[in-house]
Amino acid sequence: MIRTKLETNKQTWLQHLHIDGWLLLGLIVLMGVGLVTIYSAGGQDVELVQRQFIRLGVALVVMFALAQVPVGAYRRVAIYFYLAGLAMLVAVLIVGVVGKGAQRWLDLGVIRFQPSEIMKLAVPMLVAWYISKENLPPRIQHITIGFIMVLTPTLLIAKQPDLGTSLLIASSGLFALFLAGMSWKLITIVGGLASAFAPIMWFFLMQDYQKQRVLTFMDPESDPLGAGYHIIQSKIAIGSGGWEGKGWLQGTQSQLEFLPERHTDFIFSVFSEEFGLLGVLALLAIYIYIIVRGMLIAVRAQDAFSKLLAGSLTLTFFVYVFVNMGMVSGILPVVGVPLPLVSYGGTSMVTLMAGFGILMAISTQKRLLVRE
Amino acid sequence: MSILSMKLGRAGARTGQAKQNANPSFVHWRFAVVLIVIVAVFAVLALRAAFIQVIEPDILIEQGDNRTLRTRALPNHRGLITDRNGQELAVSIPVRAIWADPKIIHQNNALQDTRRWQALANVLGQDVQSLYDRVNNPERRFVYIQRQVSPAMADYVEQLDIDGIYLRNESRRYYPTGEVSAHVIGFTDVDDKGLEGIERLYDDWLTGTPGTRKIRRDAKGRQVEIIEMEQGEKAGNIQLTIDQRIQSIAYKELKKAVTFYKATSGSAVVVDVHSGDILAMVNSPSFNPNNRADAAPHRVRNRAITDAFEPGSAVKPLAVLSALEFGVADKDTVIDTHPGWMRVGGALVQDLRNNGELDLTGIIQKSSNMGTSKLALSVPREFLLDTYYKMGLMSDTGTNLLGESSGIFHQRNRWSQFELSTLSFGYGLSVTTLQMARMYTILANGGMKRPLNMVVNDEEVYAERVISAENARLLLGMLESVTQDGGSGTKAAIPGYRVAGKTGTSRKAIAGGYGEEYVNIFAGIAPVSEPRLVTVVLINEPGGDLYHAGDTAAPVFGAIMSSALQLLNVPPDARNVSSMASVMGGLPRAD
Repeated sequence: MIRTKLETNKQTWLQHLHIDGWLLLGLIVLMGVGLVTIYSAGGQDVELVQRQFIRLGVALVVMFALAQVPVGAYRRVAIYFYLAGLAMLVAVLIVGVVGKGAQRWLDLGVIRFQPSEIMKLAVPMLVAWYISKENLPPRIQHITIGFIMVLTPTLLIAKQPDLGTSLLIASSGLFALFLAGMSWKLITIVGGLASAFAPIMWFFLMQDYQKQRVLTFMDPESDPLGAGYHIIQSKIAIGSGGWEGKGWLQGTQSQLEFLPERHTDFIFSVFSEEFGLLGVLALLAIYIYIIVRGMLIAVRAQDAFSKLLAGSLTLTFFVYVFVNMGMVSGILPVVGVPLPLVSYGGTSMVTLMAGFGILMAISTQKRLLVRE
Repeated sequence: MSILSMKLGRAGARTGQAKQNANPSFVHWRFAVVLIVIVAVFAVLALRAAFIQVIEPDILIEQGDNRTLRTRALPNHRGLITDRNGQELAVSIPVRAIWADPKIIHQNNALQDTRRWQALANVLGQDVQSLYDRVNNPERRFVYIQRQVSPAMADYVEQLDIDGIYLRNESRRYYPTGEVSAHVIGFTDVDDKGLEGIERLYDDWLTGTPGTRKIRRDAKGRQVEIIEMEQGEKAGNIQLTIDQRIQSIAYKELKKAVTFYKATSGSAVVVDVHSGDILAMVNSPSFNPNNRADAAPHRVRNRAITDAFEPGSAVKPLAVLSALEFGVADKDTVIDTHPGWMRVGGALVQDLRNNGELDLTGIIQKSSNMGTSKLALSVPREFLLDTYYKMGLMSDTGTNLLGESSGIFHQRNRWSQFELSTLSFGYGLSVTTLQMARMYTILANGGMKRPLNMVVNDEEVYAERVISAENARLLLGMLESVTQDGGSGTKAAIPGYRVAGKTGTSRKAIAGGYGEEYVNIFAGIAPVSEPRLVTVVLINEPGGDLYHAGDTAAPVFGAIMSSALQLLNVPPDARNVSSMASVMGGLPRAD
C-alpha cells in the first residue's frame, strides 16, 4: 500500500497509542451527532447533554484502555470472562434488582450493572477463542458446542426478560460461527430449528408484553392508544421530516412530547424529523463507514481469533443499528435496542466502546507484530 | 461493491500469506457475503426512510397535524338587545361552567378525597352520589358538572382544587326587563343559542362569527404556536323599535286588567302611525326569562302575533270603508236599520235594539250589524274582500317575527250573502292583535300602507296608498264618535286628546257554533287631529261580570294610550277640555 509520509507519520503516532484513526473518526462524528440530537430531543436540556458527554468521555477512556491490552490476553481470559458472566446472569435471576418490569440489574453495593452487558463481549470472545483453536472450517461438533455457548446466556437473558440484549448476544455468537465458515447445510438446519423454536418461544418463553409488541408490530393501528402508540408516533415523526427535515430543534412531533422515549430508543425519529431524508442517508453513511472499517480490521487481522472477534463485534454493532432503525421505522417489532452511540444512555454505550477498544487492539497490534 | 470485494479479496490474500492454519479465502468470502448483506440491509433502511419521508409522507404529516393542530374559537359575547332609546333588554354577563375530566379524576384517584367532593356537592346543591355517577366512566374526557355558575361559586370550586375538576368561561343571558318584554325578546338556551323571539330570529347576527385561532399544541395540550388567527365577525347588537317605557306601562295595565276581569289572557300592541314602528307589544300571562322554571308553553307564546281571533265589531269600519271607496255611499248616506233585524239568505242578522235610520257615523257609533251588512252587500263581493286584504288582514304584518300568524280567512269560490254580511261585523275570519293594529295604522296614516317594524333599521320602506286620504279622514271622524257620549267605547276616552276607536266583542267559536266565552277588543287611534299612535288591546275570555269590550278593553286602551301620548310629548288636541281634565287642573303642556 502506498502512503504519503504524513499519513504514515500520523498512523505511526496513532498506532503507538493503539488507536485506529479511521475508526475513531467515525465514532467521534457519530457521538457528535448524538449530542446534537439529544440536545434537541431532550427539550434543550443542557444538563442532559453534559451527562451524555461525560459518559462518552468514560466510554472513550474504556475504549482507549482496552485498546492497550494485547490481543493474546483476550484470547486467554475469554473462558473465565464468559464463566464469570454466566455466573452473574444466574445471580441476577436469583437476587437481581427489578427495574421497569424486568430483572436485569445486579447490585454490588457500589454500582449497579447489567451482567448481560458483559456477555455482549464475552460471548463473541469465547466463541472466537473456541472455534479458532481448531482448524477452520469448524466441524459439526464444534459448531454444536459453539451453539450451546451462545444459547445459554441468550436464554438466561431472555428470561430476565430482555429481548433486545438476548437478540444482540445471540447474533454476536452466531456471526462468529458464520464467519468461521459454518457450512451452508448447517446454516439451513439451524435456520429450520430456529423457526421450529419460534412457537416454543412464543408460548413458553415470551412474556405477555413481548407478545403484545409483536402483535402490535403486525398491526400498529390495532391499538393506537396503547402498544401501537410508540410506532405510530415514531412513523409520524419520521414522515413529517420530508427531504430536508424541519431543522434542528424544529421538530414538532418530537419537541411537543408526542413521542415517547425520544432521547433514548426513539432518538432516530427525532433525528429523522429534524434532518429529513438527507440527514438519514448521511447517518446511514456514517454507520456503513464504521462497519466497513470494522470489517476491514477483521479481514486484515493476523489470526483467526482476531478475525472472528473483530468481525463478530462489528456485526453486533450493525445489528444494533438495524434493529433500532427497523423498529423505529416500523419494519421490526419494538425491542429495546438503542441507536448505538447516538441514543442517550450509559451502559450499552460503554460496552459498545469497549468492543471498539478491542477492535482497535486488533487493528493496531497486528501491525506492530508484522513490523517485528 | 465490486471494488470493495476486490479490495477485500486483496487484503484477504495478503493477510492469508501471514497466516498458516486457516483457510483464508473461504473465510474472506464469508466476510464479503456479510458485507453485501449489510449494505443491502442499509439500503432497505434507507428505502424505508425514503418511503416514509418522501414518497408517502402525506398521510403521516396529516396524522401529525391531527395530533398537534387545533382550531380554537375565540370567545365572542352575544350582542345586546336594546329598546329604541338604548335601554338594555338583553345582556350577556360572564359566568363560569364547572366541568370534569373523568380520566384525570380516575388517574389521580381524586375520588378518594370524599371531603372535597362532599363540599362540591353541597355548594352545587347536588347529591354527592349523582356527582360520582357522572364522572364514573374513566373513558370520558369531558362532562359538565354545572353550567352558568356565579363567580362567587366558581371561586369556591376553584379553591376546592379537586384534580380533574375545571372551570371554563361562558356567558349567560340576562334580561333586565324580565317578564315585561319576555315575549318579544325570547330567550336563549344554556349554550347561548337563541330559542325564541328576537333572540332566535336574529340569532346569527347576535352571535356573530366567533374568531378562530389555529394553534399547534403539544402532547400536554399546551399551546405552542399560533399558526393563524381569523378575525370573526363581531357579534351585532339589535335595537328594537320597542319603547320600554310604553312597554312597561302597557304590560302593567294589561296584567292588571287580565287579573281584574278574570281573563284567560290578554295582548296589547302600540304602533307608531308614521313609521310603523311597534312601540309596545305585551301579553299576559308572561314568564320570567331569567328563570324559566315555570315557563309553561301557554305563558311563553307571544299571543299578539300567534293567536288569531274573530275580531267582531272592530272590523266594522271596513264595511263602511268599502262602501265609501266603491262610491255607493258618502258621508251623508243614511241607512235604514229598522226594525233592528233582517233575514239574509235565510239567516238572521240583528242589532241589539232597533236603531232606526242611521248615517255612517251612527252605524259605527252604535255598532249596527244591520248597517254594516247592508253596506257590505251593496258593493261587489270582490271589492269587499279586496278592501279587507288591502287593509292588511289575511297577510302578515311585515315584522318577520317568528310564529306570526296571518290569521284565518277561508278563500271561497262562493260566498253566500249571509257569509258576506257576517264578514262585515267580524265573524268568519280570524286576525291577530298585531294585524288589527296594522289595519288601524293604515286608517290613521291617511290610507298609506307599510309594513310594521320591530327592529330599528335605516331601510327606506315603500308605503303604498290603499285607500283615499279623504275616506280615511272621514272614517277617523266616525270612529271618534265611538269614544264620545253615546258611543260604545266611552271608557277609552282620554282627557285632552281626541280619540278614535272601535270596540269589538265577539263570541268565541267552539265546536258546532259559538259558546259563552267572549273576546274583547278595543282598537284606537290618537290624537285624531294628527294621528300619532295606534293601540290595540285584546282581552281574551273575561270571566267576570264584565264581558263587553267597552267595559274591559276600552279602559285599558285609555290608560295605555294616555301614558304613551304623554311620554312621547304629543300635544293635546281636544278643543273642549273635558270636565275630567279641568278637575285634574288643566291640560299638561298645552302648547
